Amino acid sequence: MKLFFTLLILNFSLIGFLAHADDLVDANEIITKANLASYYSADDGSAQARMIIVDAQGNKQMRQFTILRKDQVDLGDQDMLVFFSRPTDVKGTVFRVVKKVKGDDDRWLYLPALDLVKRISAGDKRTSFVGTHFFYEDVSGRNPAEDNFTLLSTDDNFYTLKAQPKDKSSVEFDHYIVNVDKSTFLPMHVDYFNSQGKKTRTLEVLKTKIIDSFTTVTHSKITQHSDGSYTEMQFRKVKYNLGLPDNVFSERSLRNPPKKWLK
Amino acid sequence: MNYTRILQLAIDKPKFVYSIVLLMVVLSLAMMPRLIVDTDPENMLSRDAPARVFHNQTKTDFQMRDMIVVGLVSENSIFTPNALQVIEQLSTQILQIDGVIEQDLLSLSVVDNITQEIDSQGENSGIRFEYLMKQAPTTLEGSIAIQQAVKRLPMLNNTLVSGDNKAIALYVPIESKDMSYVIAEQIRTINKSFPAELVADVDFHITGLPVAEDQFGYEMFVQMGIAAPLAGLAIFILLWYFFRNLPLIIAPMIVAMTTVIIIMGSLIGMGFTVHIMSSMIAIFLMPIAVVDSVHILSEFAEKYKTGDDAGDVVKGVMKHLYTPMLFTSITSAIGFYSLMLTPIPPVKVFGAFIGTGILLAFALTIIFIPAYISRLKPETLTKLHDAIKRIEQKRKLANALTSLGSFATQKTKLILIGFIALFLISIEGITRIEINDNPVNWFKADHEIRIADKVLNEHFAGTYDAWLVFKNNDTKNSTAGAQFNKILATADANSKSVKQINDFINADSNKANQSSFINQNLLVLLDDLSFSADDSEQVWLEQLVNIADKTFNDNKVFLDPALLNWQADFQQALLTTGLVGKSNGLADIVKTVNRELYSGKDKDFIIPQSSNGVAQTLLQYQSSHRPQDLWHFVTKDYQQSLLWLQMTSGDNQHTTKVVEWADNYIATHPMPKDISYQWAGKSYLNIVWQDAMVNGMIDSLLSSFVIVFLMMVFLFRSLKYGILAMLPLTFTISMIYGLIGWVGKEYDMPIAVLSALTLGLSIDFAIHFLQRARELEKELGSLSQALAAMFQEPSRAISRNAIVIAIGFTPLLLSPLMPYITVGFFLASIMALSALVTLVLLPALMTLFSKRI
Repeated sequence: MKLFFTLLILNFSLIGFLAHADDLVDANEIITKANLASYYSADDGSAQARMIIVDAQGNKQMRQFTILRKDQVDLGDQDMLVFFSRPTDVKGTVFRVVKKVKGDDDRWLYLPALDLVKRISAGDKRTSFVGTHFFYEDVSGRNPAEDNFTLLSTDDNFYTLKAQPKDKSSVEFDHYIVNVDKSTFLPMHVDYFNSQGKKTRTLEVLKTKIIDSFTTVTHSKITQHSDGSYTEMQFRKVKYNLGLPDNVFSERSLRNPPKKWLK
Repeated sequence: MNYTRILQLAIDKPKFVYSIVLLMVVLSLAMMPRLIVDTDPENMLSRDAPARVFHNQTKTDFQMRDMIVVGLVSENSIFTPNALQVIEQLSTQILQIDGVIEQDLLSLSVVDNITQEIDSQGENSGIRFEYLMKQAPTTLEGSIAIQQAVKRLPMLNNTLVSGDNKAIALYVPIESKDMSYVIAEQIRTINKSFPAELVADVDFHITGLPVAEDQFGYEMFVQMGIAAPLAGLAIFILLWYFFRNLPLIIAPMIVAMTTVIIIMGSLIGMGFTVHIMSSMIAIFLMPIAVVDSVHILSEFAEKYKTGDDAGDVVKGVMKHLYTPMLFTSITSAIGFYSLMLTPIPPVKVFGAFIGTGILLAFALTIIFIPAYISRLKPETLTKLHDAIKRIEQKRKLANALTSLGSFATQKTKLILIGFIALFLISIEGITRIEINDNPVNWFKADHEIRIADKVLNEHFAGTYDAWLVFKNNDTKNSTAGAQFNKILATADANSKSVKQINDFINADSNKANQSSFINQNLLVLLDDLSFSADDSEQVWLEQLVNIADKTFNDNKVFLDPALLNWQADFQQALLTTGLVGKSNGLADIVKTVNRELYSGKDKDFIIPQSSNGVAQTLLQYQSSHRPQDLWHFVTKDYQQSLLWLQMTSGDNQHTTKVVEWADNYIATHPMPKDISYQWAGKSYLNIVWQDAMVNGMIDSLLSSFVIVFLMMVFLFRSLKYGILAMLPLTFTISMIYGLIGWVGKEYDMPIAVLSALTLGLSIDFAIHFLQRARELEKELGSLSQALAAMFQEPSRAISRNAIVIAIGFTPLLLSPLMPYITVGFFLASIMALSALVTLVLLPALMTLFSKRI
């Protein structure tokens, strides 16, 4: 009898352990899906973004801009335009980005007050995006090929993965832990750690919304733990599959914004 | 007399007296563990002093930090793979120290570089942002490339790298000043851990005002533990030399120790922090507490004959000495209590507790000493008598004093002329006094902090900071505010959106300043509402957004090219004065980014022509690894901006010159906008409290001088004797300060405090002298006989006292800290001088006066 119960308990616990037979177990597969869900929804899209930067004393700054995006191919290269509208003194400033899976992204900058178009190159992609706590790479998407992923655990809602950079010298972190939502494959929470194992930075998704059948992050936040300062990013008027023509993503659009697509 | 009864009680019930004293000591000792150290010179200003409040506000507004400066210095070029590797590793390790503010560390390995990107055809193909030195280069070429890159970055050149390329610095920002010493020690440990071959050619140095001040605090407490007991020991040895009677001389030591313990215990127990000033209480109290006891012992030893009843003899002695001792104690106490008139909190505490300590020492002396002496065994007292006889045989002191006495009473005119001449010379010396202080100079010249300070300031633009903060006065908000309210009034007051806006305007933080509710937070709220509000509300909402947005942006005065050019000109002119090694400001950032956005050449090292151009340049600057660096130089609303001045000297005089120069420049070169300016930074705070200190000391000295004079007139019931009593201290103080002026010693904090001590101690001898001389004159019926008698026992007591204290404080001269050396040296001089002045000037004048009258 005793043995029977022991076996029964063991049996139940095994069933518990193997709860969902359809769970993914390949870390790379999870990350590929996450990358697709985060940065490649539909073939193109536009959104109005507002970033509020809050420093350690609670002082706020606001940045507002409109993003246009078009995928050349899913999980591949992308065209992107960022048009600033506020603060008013930087209105008309435009970033043009050609995101490349292989090799460095191409980036251009247009400053209307100086009437200057300048190509930008950066030693790495982990510089601040216009003074916010978001890095350039957080906005455009970090190439999954740059990290090695291991699946740490799976529960009812999340896959928890650990990512370690292949080239430590190109990043400021040692590793990061990411929670990927099992149903939407959106990374909902990412903690970055330094080489002492101290958590330095956290990205959280605060709100998502299903827009045209795509679960879209509409409100996210990055916190810098050394002083508690943070930036919140909100997306509004998100639209997908607009049919943006290729010629919108040209140098011409820097000086002459395609007003039609910015409304 | 009431005291007679107390004296009788003390002699009758010594155990009772002992128990009370013991109880007080035990209670006080119990308080000691609650000691809180305060080494921050900022506390020389009260918490709500405007300069201090502004300084701290500036630190918050601009996130300015207290910084430890770490320097690596080489004989040759520092740009070698080895040295740069040390910089990289050192930076990494410093970032791991608790209390270091990571994001604000300034080091070659964490800052950014902006350069022109040149393609393979040699064409300028763009602008490049990257870490200046993410990894230390392994080749000499790589090292030199970094050297050349830094030279192009005005914010870093001469700050992180010296002009002669022989030194590299790290600026380590720390969370709180009082962690400086601990963090500096950790950095020193890291420095020592580098393998010898890596650091063969480099020396490490650590400096910066926070470290100097905090390290001073640490060493001060070490000194407190060493200097005060050593002084006690020296006094003890001298007492032994004079009295050769261990049980007897233990008495004054007990009085001194008890006084110090009770006073320090109650200071700590009452919750006061122990500051640089109060740490010296023990050293100041020790001599004063011994003085009265030595008077008693001296007279007792002279009067006691074998077989006498010790109690009776001591009663006789006390009867003699009670009044002069009471008055000297009260006057000394007043001298110190007068320090409470200064506006400097630690000086007030210092004055209050020493003043009280003096009165306590007096009470202990008149109760404990008689009780103690009366209980000494006859054998002990016989030995005392033998010792006195031995001294009598030698009579060196006695003979010297007798001849001094005859000199003083015979050559009266010569003495008078001599003193007047000395007085005039002293006055001339006083006019030459240079008022100056510099916390780094509180260390001796060979101290590691002083050496680091010297070396690093030779190489770099300067390790002393002053901050000049500019603020917009014209907010242009009132008309916009009225317009805003007018439009808001047209909307339905019951709508949710209107309520939210009104709540915002009426919130406490905005209510205080009605015109400035148009700020970033309002814009965020309006922007939120433009999404949540009904369509019907969008029209007026958009109008509000437009007003608020326009007002907010028009107010960003520190984007104005004319103002930035004015600042750049100011910085340039400041540099030509030679007073400032370098200044860093918003204009430097804007010009550098502008240059790189265009050609990368000097011709583009200019401010853009429009405010929007400046704003867009700054948006680029923020696209770096360290966007937060911008906010050290301008606030996020562009209403204030800060210039960081690096000075090679922390002398208060130096800072004063800079401040005066700036006032003058700004008066003659008005700013293009309505801008006010104010100073902050540690170097500036130091001149503020120094000013308060000097004026405060003059006030307190003058007022205590008047009070003591009135007391003297009252004590002697004679204007003549009142004036006479004041003369020795007048001469002593003027001679001491004259000497300070002539030898070029700067008038700093310890020197300032000495004036109170001088007043207290020099009056002591004068009172004893005059009181005894008057008694003797009555007794003997003639002044000349009285004066002759004065140069027997009474003058010996005075001289012994002076010698005990003067020599007793020589151990202070061995201290590594300048204030202790200063106090030791001047205490000795004051004692010797005031005894001499008393013994020479008073009899001469008394003789002179008696001839005239």
